[in-house]
Amino acid sequence: MRTDPELPFFFGADSGLFGMYHAPASTPRRAVLMCPPLGQELIRTHRLYRQLAQQLAAQGVAVLRFDYHGTGDSAGGSTEVDWQRCIGDAVTAAGELRSRAGVDRVVAFGARLGGSIALGAADRARFSEVIAWDPVIDGDDYVAALDAMQGALREDADRFNQPRSHADVAEQWLGFDIGDGLRKQIQGLHVAPANVPTLVLDSLPPDATPRWEHLVSRRGKVASISPPTPWGDLRRLESAILSHPLIQAVTGRLTEDA
Amino acid sequence: MREEAFRFGRARHLVGIAGVPEGSLGETGVIVLNAGLVHRIGPFRLHVDLTRQLNAAGYPTLRFDLSTLGDSGASGGGLTRTQQVCADVDDAMKLLAERAGCERFVLVGLCSGAQNAHTVAASDPRVSGAVFLDGYAYQTLGYKLRHYLPRMFDAARWARFLRQRASGGATEKPASEPVFSVAPAPREEVIADFTGMVGRGMKLYLVYSGGISYCFNHARQFRECFGKVMDHPAITTSYRAETDHTYILSGDRARLVDGIGGWLARNFPPAAGRHA
Repeated sequence: MRTDPELPFFFGADSGLFGMYHAPASTPRRAVLMCPPLGQELIRTHRLYRQLAQQLAAQGVAVLRFDYHGTGDSAGGSTEVDWQRCIGDAVTAAGELRSRAGVDRVVAFGARLGGSIALGAADRARFSEVIAWDPVIDGDDYVAALDAMQGALREDADRFNQPRSHADVAEQWLGFDIGDGLRKQIQGLHVAPANVPTLVLDSLPPDATPRWEHLVSRRGKVASISPPTPWGDLRRLESAILSHPLIQAVTGRLTEDA
Repeated sequence: MREEAFRFGRARHLVGIAGVPEGSLGETGVIVLNAGLVHRIGPFRLHVDLTRQLNAAGYPTLRFDLSTLGDSGASGGGLTRTQQVCADVDDAMKLLAERAGCERFVLVGLCSGAQNAHTVAASDPRVSGAVFLDGYAYQTLGYKLRHYLPRMFDAARWARFLRQRASGGATEKPASEPVFSVAPAPREEVIADFTGMVGRGMKLYLVYSGGISYCFNHARQFRECFGKVMDHPAITTSYRAETDHTYILSGDRARLVDGIGGWLARNFPPAAGRHA
């Protein structure tokens, strides 16, 4: 039977979660679960996640990329995205990765809310380490920023010939319907440190960098990546986020720990 | 109905998601191509919303990534990009034929996806319909009158222009023509393609948005761009001035998806059953 180095498949209780398994050429000893961010950031980081997964697989690491319920190719609509379910999906995906790769040790990687989900799922998913890239640790600020961008979008002359009505843009964040439940869940988000080593990769502008200390105070560290990543720039809302330094930082971390 | 994930194609280099409703064997299949560089879920998940709604209406669908886009790799073999697109869509049609028994196909594409769908639709007899979203467009005389005349009588714009000129700054430059975000095709060639498509019985749905106002600004422009072939009953046009190019607002997206579903239902009713 032919085995593909990158295999798309559905998994989970109702086979509703989409995953892409990257199998290394030789039997893996380690594995990485890549937790995506939500909304437009998922789309903007798709290519980078694939590049990173391919690089990790090339250095002998088994990798699983996946989409939470209501996102990407997974079942469910955008309004069904639920924070606790995202964490549950990450736990399910970690189990799927262990089963496919035949290894127990799984490192989680996640950008933005994907990093927050990885941290939130760390105990249940038994991650051995979390690598979080610009994770969202204060949901209130994140919601305020998204609301401000959505407000600016309404009258973005580069996008619309005429400003749109408030009703047209309501209950959405940058292209995605948002259920009231998810808004409240993210608003109330205060990410606690995980009981595992945590590497925070920081590429936020200096004036926007939160205090990471509480996340990494026990075991872990913060590493800066430059240049700053334009997560919140409305003019680049549909530009892919690509970062060679990020790939180097993650693959380097996995190499030093080999 | 459950979607299935596939790695397929002549080099198993393509990745796509097929949705095949129960009892839809032999129906027209709908294949959705990448919009620009966005992977197969589409801008703001448009392609997921579209294919699932079409599945619910009884149509087998496939959303997939062309070679080197999204999760698809390169096939090798030294094909030109045009040849590669045709070969990739051929692979996609074979997959949907195998999974759902489809013999006829409708292609859907936005922006460069419209261009790619156009290329295949112009030459492949299995394509019986196409939805071109912000496809080829040309700045016509009518466009220029509608665009520039109001500006000539806009005092604020003149004041800004004179201020910029006095300060030696850059002035607003008119866009060149024709305009297409990937690569333009000669207008006469595109008209000949449309004529050929409807001549062999294809149905076309052209939807243009206000997001390409740099080259298209009125429903009349379909006729101005492409001439009398636009009067053919097999061609349906829609100009949605209020929307942006990638349908970022969910209400706009829902109306677009409903519009495509309605057009399909009128032209390729799933209840029509098996096609000879």
